Amino acid sequence: MSTVTRTPARPGAPTTAGSDTEAEKAEQEALAARAPRRRISPERIAAALTIVALLVASVFALAGIGINPAKMAQSWSNAERFFGRVGAISFPEPGELLYLTGLTLGLVICGTLLAAVISVPVAYLAASNTTPGNAWRAAARFVGVLTRAIPDVVFAMVFVLIFSLGTLPGILAIGIHSIGMISKLFADAIEQIDEGPRLAVRAAGGSRMQEFTAGVLPQVLPSWIATVLHRNDINLRGSVILGYVGVVGLGMQMSFAFKSLDYGLGLGYAVVIFILCVIMELVSSAVRAAMLGIAPTGRGLGDRMLRGIRRGRPVRAGAQTGAGRPAPTATPAAALEAALRRPWSRGRIRTAVWGWLAVAVVIGSILICDIAWGDLATVWAKIPAIAVQFWPPSFGSYDVETMLGAMGETIAIALAATLLTLIVSIVVGSLAARNVAPSPGVRAGTRFLLVVVRGIPEIILAIMLIVISGLGTQAGTIALAIGGVGLLGKLLADSFEEVKAGPERALTATGASRLQVYAGATLPQGTRALIGNTFYMLDTNIRCATLLGIVGAGGVGYYLLNASQGSNYGTVTAIVLMILVTVLIVEGLAMWMRRVFR
Amino acid sequence: MTNHEKPAEAVVQLTRVTKRFGATTALDGASLTVRRGEIVVLLGLSGSGKSTLLRHVDGLELPTEGAVEVLGQNVPELDGRRLRSLRSKVGFIFQQFELVPSLSVLENVLTGSLATARGPRLGLWSYGRSAKLAALGHLDRVGLLDRAYQRADTLSGGQQQRVAIARALMQNPEILLADEPVASLDPESSDQVMALIREIALDRGLTVLCSLHQVDLALSWADRIVGLRHGEVVLDTETQGLTKSQVMEIYGRVATSTRQLAAIEVELLTDAATDSVR
Ligand SMILES: Nc1ncnc2c1ncn2[C@@H]1O[C@H](COP(=O)(O)OP(=O)(O)OP(=O)(O)O)[C@@H](O)[C@H]1O
Ligand SMILES: [Mg+2]
Repeated sequence: MSTVTRTPARPGAPTTAGSDTEAEKAEQEALAARAPRRRISPERIAAALTIVALLVASVFALAGIGINPAKMAQSWSNAERFFGRVGAISFPEPGELLYLTGLTLGLVICGTLLAAVISVPVAYLAASNTTPGNAWRAAARFVGVLTRAIPDVVFAMVFVLIFSLGTLPGILAIGIHSIGMISKLFADAIEQIDEGPRLAVRAAGGSRMQEFTAGVLPQVLPSWIATVLHRNDINLRGSVILGYVGVVGLGMQMSFAFKSLDYGLGLGYAVVIFILCVIMELVSSAVRAAMLGIAPTGRGLGDRMLRGIRRGRPVRAGAQTGAGRPAPTATPAAALEAALRRPWSRGRIRTAVWGWLAVAVVIGSILICDIAWGDLATVWAKIPAIAVQFWPPSFGSYDVETMLGAMGETIAIALAATLLTLIVSIVVGSLAARNVAPSPGVRAGTRFLLVVVRGIPEIILAIMLIVISGLGTQAGTIALAIGGVGLLGKLLADSFEEVKAGPERALTATGASRLQVYAGATLPQGTRALIGNTFYMLDTNIRCATLLGIVGAGGVGYYLLNASQGSNYGTVTAIVLMILVTVLIVEGLAMWMRRVFR
Repeated sequence: MTNHEKPAEAVVQLTRVTKRFGATTALDGASLTVRRGEIVVLLGLSGSGKSTLLRHVDGLELPTEGAVEVLGQNVPELDGRRLRSLRSKVGFIFQQFELVPSLSVLENVLTGSLATARGPRLGLWSYGRSAKLAALGHLDRVGLLDRAYQRADTLSGGQQQRVAIARALMQNPEILLADEPVASLDPESSDQVMALIREIALDRGLTVLCSLHQVDLALSWADRIVGLRHGEVVLDTETQGLTKSQVMEIYGRVATSTRQLAAIEVELLTDAATDSVR
C-alpha cells in the first residue's frame, strides 16, 4: 500500500558514528531540512488502517466459516450420493416452460421499466445541473439510497402480503428496488452532459421542460438505455430469489420443486434460468455495444449514412427536376416539399427496427404479466392495516444475541467471499488483460470464462451447491466468491488495460522480465482501481449475503424468511433495519475509500 | 451624428449595468444603445465582459445593478413566460455552435421553434408540417438543405455554425446575438459565416450584436464597434468614420496586451471625435 511512511533514505550517506565532522553533520541536517517531507494525510492513514483491519477480519471470517480441503472432500462424496439419488435432470413440458420463461422475462422487464420511468424525475431532481434546489436534491438522493439499501426480497415479501396473487408484487418489488441504482446512474449521465445545447434551447425561449427534452434527453439517451439493459440483467438474476418469497415465475417453480424434494426438476429449472441469464447478458451487451457504437460520436456510421444519402440524392433530384436544369435555383417550394420526405437511410432503418422491436417487447411483457390493474386501485384501503403489523420492530421470539450473531455471520460470509474473490480475480483479471496476458489466446479464453461466470446468478449457484454438497454457509460463501470473480475479474482486467503503457515500456527497456514489469509498472498503476473495485465488490456481496439465508446458505436471511412466513412482521422490520444499517455503513465505507484513493 | 435622418428606435438599451460574480466584476457600469437594423460589434480582450453583456440582452444573466431594456421590455422584471417569449425574439449564436450532436440537422433547426411550439417535443414527427417546411427553408438559405437528415456531429465546424444560424432564424428573431461566432473556425469558413450573417441581417432588417476579438474583421464587417475593457465601455464609434489607412494602421498593431489595446482605443476615440467634428 502506498501509504507506508518511508524515512527519507539517502543512499551513500555514511552511517558510521563518529566519522562525521560537525560541519558535515550540519550540512546533512540542512539537506534533510530542505528535502520535502512526504506528506500523508491522516485520512489516508485511517483508510489504510481500515483496509488492514478488514483484511484481518476477512482472514478470520474465512477460517471461521471453515472452508477447508477435508470438508470439501466430504462434500464431494455427498455430491456423489446426491447424483445417485437424483438420477436425471428433468424439465417441465415445453409449453409450460415457454410460458414460465416468458412470464419471468416479462415480469422482470416490466419491473425494470417501472423503475426506469420513476427514475427519470428522481434523477432530474438529483443531478446537480438540473435540480431545482438543494432540498429537492437531498430528497431525491435519499430516495435512491433507501430503495437501493432495502433488498428487493423485502419489498416482495411486503407486496405479496398486500396483493397476495399475480405478478404485481414482483413488478413492484423489482421496480422500487431498482430505482436506487438506475436513478443514480441516470443522474450521473445528466451531470456529464455538455451544457451548451441546453443553454441554446433556453436562449431560444424554451421552457424548463423543453430544455430537458430537447437539450438533455438526446444527450443522455444512449447511456440511459445502457443502464436500463444492465439493470435488467441484474433483475433477471435476482428474480430467482423472489420466487422463494412467492413471486410467480421460474424461481417459484424451482423453489416448489426443491421443497417437494424433486431435485431433478429443481436442477432442471436452475439450468434453464442459468441459460436464460447468459442469453440475456449476451443480447444486452450486444445491443449496448451496437448502440454505444453509433451514439456518441459515431464517425463510422455517420460517414456511412452520409455516403448513403449522397448516393440516394442525385437520382431523386434528377427525377424531380426532370428536363429542367439541376441548378440550386430549381423551384424552392417543390424542393422543400420533396425534402420533407426523410430518406430511408441505413441509420433510419436501423433505428426504426430497434425501436419497434423494443415496443413489441414491452407490449409483450405487459400482456404476459396480465397485470391486475384493478388491484392497484383497491389496495390502498388495505395498506394501513398491514402497515401497523410491521410496527414496532421487535426480535420476537429470538434473543438479541442470536440475531446479532446471524447478522455477524452474514457479514463474515461477505468478507470471506470478497477475500476469495480478490485473490482469484487478481490472477484471472491479470490473465485477461491485454498488456499482461502471455498470449492473445489466453486473454480471449479468460475473457470468455469471465463472461460465462458473470452470467451465473449467485443464488442459483448457491442453491446448486447447497443441494449438491449438503453444505450451508460454506456453499454460500463459495457461490458468492465464484460469482464475484466474474465481476471483479473483469473490472480488474479493464483497469489493468487502462494503465499507461509508458512505464511498462520503460521497464521492459531496462531488461526487466515480464513478471517484473507486471509487478513494477502494471500493478502499482492499477492499485487505486483495485481498492475501489474491491470495495464495490464488498458492497455488492453484503447485499447479496443478506439474501443467501433464504435459500439455506446461512446468515440473517434465514430468519428474515422465517419471520415473514410466520407472520412476525415486527421481526421482519427489525431485521430489515439491521440490514439497512449494515448496508449503509458498507456503502459509506466504499464511497469514502473511492474518494480517498481517487 | 445629429444630422442623421430619423433615428430608428432603440431595441437594446443597457443603462449603467454592473454585474458581479462574487469578487469578479464582469460588467462595470456599461451603457449601450443599439437601434433597429444596426450591425454592432463588441470588441475586447478575453475576460473583458463581452459574453456577459450579450447574455444580459437575452436575459440569461440578470444585472447586479442598472437597467436592461430589450424590445421595449424591462428584462429583469419579466416573469418566466414573458421572458421566454422575449428570448424567442432574440436569436443567439454561440462560439461552440451548441447543436445536439446526436440529433439530425433538421431536428436541431426545429428546436429554434420550441418557444412557439410549446410543450415537450421528441423526434421529428412531433413537429408540424409547416414548422418542418420553414426549417427546411432556413436550411436552404444557409445552403445546407441536402444535409437535413444527417447527424449534426457529422458536419464540419463551418457547416455546424450555419445550422446554428438556421436554428436562430427558426425563431423569427428581431435581434441576433452572436458570441464570437467564428472563433472556432478556419479563416475560410469564418469569412463565409460572417458574410452569411450580414446578408441575412440586411435581408430581414435584423439588429445584430456580435462579439469578436479580431479588430480587422470588426472594422470591415460592422456598422459600429463598441470596445469593452474590464467590463467598461471604453469605445463606441461608427466604422464609417474610420479611413482605410487608419484601419490598416490598427490592423498592423493588433493588441497583444491590455495596455496596447487601451492605446488603440484612445486613438480610435480621438479619431472618431475629429471625424464627427469634420
Ligand atoms: N458565471 C460566472 N461566474 C463567475 N465569473 C464569471 C462568470 N461568467 C463570467 N465570469 C467572469 O466575468 C468576467 C468576464 O467574462 P466574459 O465571459 O464576459 O468575458 P469575455 O469578454 O466574453 O471573454 P472571452 O473573450 O474569453 O470569451 C471574467 O473575469 C469571467 O471570469
Ligand atoms: Mg466570451
